[in-house]
Amino acid sequence: MAEITTSVPRDNAGTDLRPNPVFLVARIIGKTLLPVLVTLFGLAALTFFIGRMLPIDPVVAILGDNATQEAYDNMARALGMDKPLWYQFGIYLKGILSLDFGQALTTGKPVIEDIARVFPATIELATLSIIIGTGLGIPAGVLAAMYRNSWIDHVIRFTGLIGYSAPNFWLGLMGLVIFYATLGWIGGPGRIDFIYEFDIKPITGFYLVDTAITGKWDVFRNAFGHIILPASILGFGALAYISRMTRSFMMEQLSQEYIITARVKGLSWARTVWVHAFRNVAVQVVTVVALSYAFLLEGAVLTETVFAWPGFGRYLTNALLVGDMNAVVGCSLLVGIIFVTLNLFCDVLYRVVDPRTR
Amino acid sequence: MTRKQIIKGRGLIAAAAGVFLSSISLPALAATPDSALVMAWNIDAISTFDPAQIGEVVTSELMQNTCDSLVDFDPADESKVVPLLAKSWDVSPDRMQITFHLNENMKFPSGEPATAKELAWSMQRVVQLGYGNASTLTEYGFSKDNVKERIAATDDNTLVMKLDKPYPTNLILQAIGANRVSSLLDMKTLMEKQVNGDLGNKYLATNTACVGPYRLMQWNAGESVVLQANDGYYGTKPKLSRVLIRHVAEPGTQRLLLTQGDVDIARDLSPDDLADLDGKPGLKIERVLKPQLFFWIFNVADPVFQNEKVRLAMRYLIDYDGLAKSVMTYLGVPRASFAQLGAVGALDAKEGQPFTLDLEKAKALLSEAGYANGFESDVLFGTLPHSAPIAQSIQQNAAKVGVKLNLERMANAQLFSRIRGREFKSGMLAWQTGVPDAHGNASRLVYNPDNRAEAKLTQIPAWRAAFQNDDFNKRVQEALLEGDPEKRNQIYYALQKDVMEKGPMAIMFQMYNILGMSDKVKDWTWNGFRVYYTSASK
Repeated sequence: MAEITTSVPRDNAGTDLRPNPVFLVARIIGKTLLPVLVTLFGLAALTFFIGRMLPIDPVVAILGDNATQEAYDNMARALGMDKPLWYQFGIYLKGILSLDFGQALTTGKPVIEDIARVFPATIELATLSIIIGTGLGIPAGVLAAMYRNSWIDHVIRFTGLIGYSAPNFWLGLMGLVIFYATLGWIGGPGRIDFIYEFDIKPITGFYLVDTAITGKWDVFRNAFGHIILPASILGFGALAYISRMTRSFMMEQLSQEYIITARVKGLSWARTVWVHAFRNVAVQVVTVVALSYAFLLEGAVLTETVFAWPGFGRYLTNALLVGDMNAVVGCSLLVGIIFVTLNLFCDVLYRVVDPRTR
Repeated sequence: MTRKQIIKGRGLIAAAAGVFLSSISLPALAATPDSALVMAWNIDAISTFDPAQIGEVVTSELMQNTCDSLVDFDPADESKVVPLLAKSWDVSPDRMQITFHLNENMKFPSGEPATAKELAWSMQRVVQLGYGNASTLTEYGFSKDNVKERIAATDDNTLVMKLDKPYPTNLILQAIGANRVSSLLDMKTLMEKQVNGDLGNKYLATNTACVGPYRLMQWNAGESVVLQANDGYYGTKPKLSRVLIRHVAEPGTQRLLLTQGDVDIARDLSPDDLADLDGKPGLKIERVLKPQLFFWIFNVADPVFQNEKVRLAMRYLIDYDGLAKSVMTYLGVPRASFAQLGAVGALDAKEGQPFTLDLEKAKALLSEAGYANGFESDVLFGTLPHSAPIAQSIQQNAAKVGVKLNLERMANAQLFSRIRGREFKSGMLAWQTGVPDAHGNASRLVYNPDNRAEAKLTQIPAWRAAFQNDDFNKRVQEALLEGDPEKRNQIYYALQKDVMEKGPMAIMFQMYNILGMSDKVKDWTWNGFRVYYTSASK
């Protein structure tokens, strides 16, 4: 058949139009890098100046209410607060370039060290949450769309509504009361029981990974017993969002004509939905998942507080409350970087998942 | 997906479910070790373990149990001083010199001997570093120039302290006992770790190096603190070998940990939780009055509050009894005098709080002051949980006598800035004094040596209120140097009564230190100035 066709073979046409993937990725990154840097600079400037304009006095925050004026002046000098604002900002920017975000006032340690300490706790929690949220949320959303207006749809939508509207800290406290205090199924607040705390040698900072690497399975079980409830509760919130969005994307696809065509051709319903319809919404779903993940990484402040989880959200909030601006600006930049990176990641992923964007 | 893949997938899911189930069927561990004291506490405020620098509650308590000071407070009566590093002391007849005789054979955790030489260095260091705590010494005439000569070791076990004025010896001992200025630091280690002439300040940000019953074994900021008993300690050995403190910010979570038996002590329970747990089997509530006063401060530079009759009228708008029985049950007791209960020279509970809610009297006073139709003003307050209900109660009572009070709530750091900068009409905040002696608060809440704005005596609340009364100033100074304890008390009694009428702040409550505890813990010992971990047992 190939000899008699006069049209250009499809494969060749595809190769001609498709640029080298390595070059493509490089170009995307190059194109995105400049806006990224501008965004981060803007973020640093904004947080820095807002922080300095807040009526919170960092010197009082460090020294307390009854320090003498002499001690006050010394500390203000030590913090560089006697210099003009633009000069302070310049010094700050210079520090950032060498990854020096200054000293956190509350812990007395470099902000970067603090972040390195608290962030793994949050990454671990957020990752487990997003796995739960995505693993259950996508199938739930697709099912709801497949069996629209049936009891399945209603149950999924109602559950989603609870996940949406019930405050996390309340769910957290209720979960603790039921599963920890009453049933005794799980570990209480904190990342691990106190008696195991010294059994863990931080390698990656993720307790589940560290204990698995070293083969300490009793400690692993304990850590898992501690993380499972907060992760489920955060995952529940993510699930609600992901399933709802997936449902609406899928419903749009399922009403398209190509679905009817596929069915007429004799494809099974499941194959039509999962292989044909779902592939078309995959890009949108990826965006939703990535955004949910970014929000989780930013720190679920209330959940972290309720579960005494020594994570990023709590660190940032505490820094805000006491006016520890070095920590606040450092954390804001990190949040900015997370969002920008996940956006970039999504951009790249779109091209992999969706041929139309190539 | 092929059939094989599906089977493989199912296997994975089953394995995951298995891990999940085996983990959740694990019963929660509900016992703390018998040799350790486990506390849930909000320890966010810890930023250093340098006794010269710290000034907040959590680290102070840890410090008192890791770094012994020259003298200690009697657990049963905080106004009395008992030996600690010093086993005895002599006072010269003119009260200008105190000679301390230290315990022999004291050792640092490193094993090196600890002598009067290191102690003198440690005390001089406080003044040389010049952090907030230095004022404990500079207030009594020590300065960077004279401290080396005025605090000196004459031999390994003798430390001599020379004063510039004949202060009451008890007051001096209280001051150096309470304020972490006489910790015995490991000079050799600190000088080895010195960075840019900081006398080991950076090293002490995350370590302790001193003579005491416990030492800091581990501190993970925002997570936990572990104290370990020192083997070579010269004094009575602690009954519990470890103190474990886990950072828990949420009071509700602390309560759960306590009732589950995962911690022995919860330090930050809310009044509601305390009311709920009070009397529950297996638990007990412990409380002690601390030297902290909660007051309503008036800016005397304000045209309205300049009038002392207006300030007095405001005191009659405070429903002391009503608040004590509702909001403040687990938080504090009514107190109107500047000298806290438990201090030398303080009026007793009854005389120190003569006010009642009396709208008629308030109205009469306002008329006398020329505000028969009331006035409008502002009240600033911070995030202390009892501030808002107290402010609202006063606001309602004020409205009944025609005074319109606008309440403004803000972050504590912002509140402190406004009040320190005299940018307020009136505000509510707490103030804690450093010594169990009436002088502690007299020197801050009453005495104001220089009322000019440019004097910037921001550490003195009387200055913040722009309040200066020459007669009061004179009496504060007179009481400070009075040698006869009985006469000294009399001066303070009279002063307290006058300040309650005319002072720049309506003092409302003296606060409790309060906690919930498992009844497994025995002999929990504390007073307003000190918690004694060493006595606790299980």
